[in-house]
Amino acid sequence: MISLDGFIEKLLAAAAEAGIAPAEVFCAERSSFSAEAMDGNIDSYEVSETCALSLRGMVDGKTGYASTEAFDDDAVAMLIRGVQESAALAEAEEQDEIYAGDPEYPVLEAPENDLDSVTAEEKLAFALKMEKAARDTDARIVKSEGAYVATGRGAMILRNSCGLNLKTETPPGGYAVAGVWLVGKDGDSSATGGESKAERKFREMDPEALGRQAAENTLAMLHASPVESGVYRAVIRRDAMRSLLSTFSGIFSAENAQKKLSLLEGREGETIAAPCVTLMDDPLLPGGFASAPFDGEGSACRTKAVIEDGVLKTLLHSRKTARKAGTQSTGNASRGVGSPVRVAPTNFFFRPGEKNLDSLLADLGDGLLITELGGLHAGANPISGDFSLIAKGFRVKDGKQGEPVEQITVAGNFYELLKNVRAVGSDLEFKSGNIGSPSVDIGDIHVAGK
Amino acid sequence: MLDRNVAAEVLDQAVRTGGDFAEIFLEDKVSHSLTLQSDRIETVGTSRKHGAGIRVFEGTKAIYVYTNDTSREGLMACAAQAAAAVREGKGCTPVRFSHWRAGKDPDTWVLGGDDAAARKADKLRAANAAARAVSPEIVQVNCSFADSVQDVLICNTEGVFVTDRRVHSRIRVAAVASDGKENQSGSSSPGAGMGFEIFDSVIDPEKCGRIAANKAVTMLHADSCPAGIWPVVIDGGFGGVIFHEACGHSLEATSVAYGISEFSGKLGQQIAAPCVTAVDDGTLPGEWGSSRIDDEGMPTTCLTLIENGILVNYMVDKLGGRRMNTAPTGSGRRESYQWAPTSRMRNTYIAAGQDDEADMIATMGTGLYAKSMGGGSVNPATGEFNFAVEEGYWVEDGKILRPVRGASLIGKGGEVLMRIDRVGRNMTMAQGVCGSASGSVPVNVGQPMIRVSHMTVGGK
Repeated sequence: MISLDGFIEKLLAAAAEAGIAPAEVFCAERSSFSAEAMDGNIDSYEVSETCALSLRGMVDGKTGYASTEAFDDDAVAMLIRGVQESAALAEAEEQDEIYAGDPEYPVLEAPENDLDSVTAEEKLAFALKMEKAARDTDARIVKSEGAYVATGRGAMILRNSCGLNLKTETPPGGYAVAGVWLVGKDGDSSATGGESKAERKFREMDPEALGRQAAENTLAMLHASPVESGVYRAVIRRDAMRSLLSTFSGIFSAENAQKKLSLLEGREGETIAAPCVTLMDDPLLPGGFASAPFDGEGSACRTKAVIEDGVLKTLLHSRKTARKAGTQSTGNASRGVGSPVRVAPTNFFFRPGEKNLDSLLADLGDGLLITELGGLHAGANPISGDFSLIAKGFRVKDGKQGEPVEQITVAGNFYELLKNVRAVGSDLEFKSGNIGSPSVDIGDIHVAGK
Repeated sequence: MLDRNVAAEVLDQAVRTGGDFAEIFLEDKVSHSLTLQSDRIETVGTSRKHGAGIRVFEGTKAIYVYTNDTSREGLMACAAQAAAAVREGKGCTPVRFSHWRAGKDPDTWVLGGDDAAARKADKLRAANAAARAVSPEIVQVNCSFADSVQDVLICNTEGVFVTDRRVHSRIRVAAVASDGKENQSGSSSPGAGMGFEIFDSVIDPEKCGRIAANKAVTMLHADSCPAGIWPVVIDGGFGGVIFHEACGHSLEATSVAYGISEFSGKLGQQIAAPCVTAVDDGTLPGEWGSSRIDDEGMPTTCLTLIENGILVNYMVDKLGGRRMNTAPTGSGRRESYQWAPTSRMRNTYIAAGQDDEADMIATMGTGLYAKSMGGGSVNPATGEFNFAVEEGYWVEDGKILRPVRGASLIGKGGEVLMRIDRVGRNMTMAQGVCGSASGSVPVNVGQPMIRVSHMTVGGK
């Protein structure tokens, strides 16, 4: 197979010859390892190495796109034809800008890692040990749904005919993640639960501690029952809050706002959240899953508050959305190989407050602690902000976590929720992704139960 | 796509260390997409997916290695990596390829052509115009059309050597209605296992636009759905998502083989009300979830899952079959070469029953009529499912009173199947994309109108 560099050169030369100018190549390389233990045996084992590339270019001032995972002569011809066809039909008001780059880029320190020195055998032993520790915790843990370990490295390359030539690791230093999911049973009651962790250094993860934590999380949900329907005071725990923020993160995209798919268009400077809410987008976060020196258009990345003390400071911009809004890119252009430039957050999180989860519950008094939200892809509407979701959690009585709760739904609106926040906790957590949150006291929430 | 001699050499390499089965899945897929937004064609894209996955079994342990490099050297390197992960396999002797079944393309597929993209663009413009004509409250319409041609080659040490071509096309129209303070959206997104001829029979772009816009406007003027436990009537078509989530996933070998599913070990037992018969059919010609062979090279089947309330079949892939000691059902599916296959639904529906639809609502008392469903999800271990109601109506004393929004339905699969007390006479299907252990695959869901005696309805 031809080398990637060789292919890119050939492609850019062919693009110039075909009158595609300027032209840009975006390339994503990825290698991964994963294995899963089930019932004391290694059950699956997966290794991959892939590379995908997209060509973006201008023809008569209009943007075209095409992508490939095959790197043969046919691929060059297909990409050129694809970009031409795409540019010929595109009618978008704002065309893309292919960018020569910023004079300087932040330097990210790749976190120390040990991924290259960890053998497959070591990873398999980790998965088996984690599963065993989980099973051995308690006789009521009756099954494992799988104990997995995964490691990976990635890179993105951005090279164009305006002179830009950038490459970065995604994420810097690679990643290691591990987790185990369990089924608990006690009499008539069954529950599922688990725990997962992400680290830069594989050997910093403790399989036995992870296994035991997974078992405890599962056991805690046994004998859960619905609460009466009604309006409850509630704290949403960091993990559930993270999934909610992730679902609604699109409302902060200038692209969505300009397309009337977010209600935040033109509201910069307005108070849209409680004063205790600060929402950060930090591409320079050490060890962050989305940490990078440059974005998908080659703009330098920078740290900014999207909401500061309740006030909307900025939406997230690419060069294209910024031009339309008469402002600067925030370095949030996002690329996928098969899709055009979009706007997306990098490491995106509510800035942690002072109080830990116990203090939040103590202040709450009586109500609910929501620990899990389900069905987010369907039950949450990013356009209206409405959500109506299946939830799990615990009753809170006299400021303390009590009996487990399941088979309830919680309903609300994300825009209103931001305004009603009473306190943001100190327990910020990301797990294996780029969206993070501490636990949040959200005021009242509508619950359907029994 | 791959020389037989090279294929044989790669499979030999893969089982060299004791693997007792090896398979190559090679894929080349070209996809086209168009999007329309703010009255303009926004993006037009072409992409080519290309790669191969090599799978080796050692008993019930599965090893999977995939790459973009489908040259002989690339495949041999993958096979060697897979072989290196085998520990103490009993080995196998590869069978000479004998089973050649080149999938024959229906001559009805209309593909490509120089002006294909321009013609698709016109269809999106028509959908957009029809949606905007519904009401001045429609402030945005997003339309897209995506089609793909996937060529696959599957061969294994059992002598299978098969090629197939799969063609899919789908439109999506999403309309946003706004009164300046609030937004509501509605969508319509039919598709099929067809090429451009889909516009002759399956897709009427203007109708899609009107359906999406009417839903959005209706929901903009709807009150919140009352929360509580109520009787629920669920309409046909995408309403079938309730069976998909509440039961379908729990009948896949993926969860049954490990004893995780709530329906494990229940073959021959009653798991649903006697009025319920459910089918998973991968053979329906031209349907969104159909294919001639599955992604393990087996012919697909029409499988009855539940007959008059009795569980009669699970959906089984090759590895699940080994674990359950049963024959695969042609249900092995995967999103692409980047996923090892597992048991998945195809076109899954509750079969037509005998109850009158109008009477079903007239006799329901007070509750929810879910006319149009959104998506959902399930935890197969506990059977807990949830799904969103895209367009709902509040019913009192058997009369439809007003539209309601923000409703979701939750429950446990085993319970809700037993609580179905009416099944209508007219079964219809709708298209979805189902995400699970082997990625996202096209599936149909379907049912006639059904009634559930009581369910937890989320709202406020």
